[in-house]
Amino acid sequence: MSKIDFASVNIGDALPTKSIVVDQQLINDYADICGDYNSIHVDVEGMKSNTMFGGSTIAHGTINVEPVLQAICDIQGLQWPAASTRVDLQFRAPVKPGFTIVSNLVVKEKKTDAGKNILVCDMKIQNKDGGDCAMGSAEIVC
Amino acid sequence: MEHKFNTSLVSGFGPAKMLPDLKFAEMEAGFDCGGGTYKITAEEVAKFSALMGDSNKGDVMVPVGMIYIFGLRICWDRKVFLDGAIRAGDKIVFHKAAKIGDTITSKLSIADKKEVKKEKDGKVRINRFLSVDMNATNQAGDKIVDIQMSFLLPASMQ
Repeated sequence: MSKIDFASVNIGDALPTKSIVVDQQLINDYADICGDYNSIHVDVEGMKSNTMFGGSTIAHGTINVEPVLQAICDIQGLQWPAASTRVDLQFRAPVKPGFTIVSNLVVKEKKTDAGKNILVCDMKIQNKDGGDCAMGSAEIVC
Repeated sequence: MEHKFNTSLVSGFGPAKMLPDLKFAEMEAGFDCGGGTYKITAEEVAKFSALMGDSNKGDVMVPVGMIYIFGLRICWDRKVFLDGAIRAGDKIVFHKAAKIGDTITSKLSIADKKEVKKEKDGKVRINRFLSVDMNATNQAGDKIVDIQMSFLLPASMQ
């Protein structure tokens, strides 16, 4: 099922990426689905006078994680991550309209646990300019 | 900043006493923050898949990012997102896949709290963090996902 051949992956390999273009329409539509209409997300005019985020709205934090979740599913060849897959992340910077956020997974360890092959990866979610929006680690069951 | 949330999207449950009613000293591991129950519909899955470009082609599986959608609804309903708190990070463990038609129950409880000393320009500041567990199961009681959310508490609680 996995698109990755565990045996042929090397430490330091970068795994396939996924990206999402974030614009205000996506944030508004996400708000419609999740029900979170906080002004920091949807009030474009009101946020212009707010200096905290440089006069901009910001995406819901959970949108930031989407590229890495999609990348893991894609690597595993599944629609839902395999059981025991783990993601541990810290948010670093808000994602704003105009960002293109990309998953970045680099293998730092290979291990087998309870019969499962696992790629332990350093993980980043970055804007296309290379700025880190979130970082941490992931254990991808292959 | 104005906080608006559509509470009609969830059916929550739990004690009347919620996180905003507690002082930091009263936030103990295991505190029951309540939870919520929801049924995953094909309509919502289609809407989310179209939005995120997720390659879900109408199969029974649910796009993985949707678990956050439901989590957001429940956390707002149960007032787990304190005014002014900043989401610091998440620890996620996946279990059985969620499917269209599943009825998911998500329960929230305090996992941990900690104080972190930070020194800057000769001044010591203590940042207070709170971690909340969200454990989601399906109608058969199978685990779907566990998410531990960490928050830097607002200045008013520092």
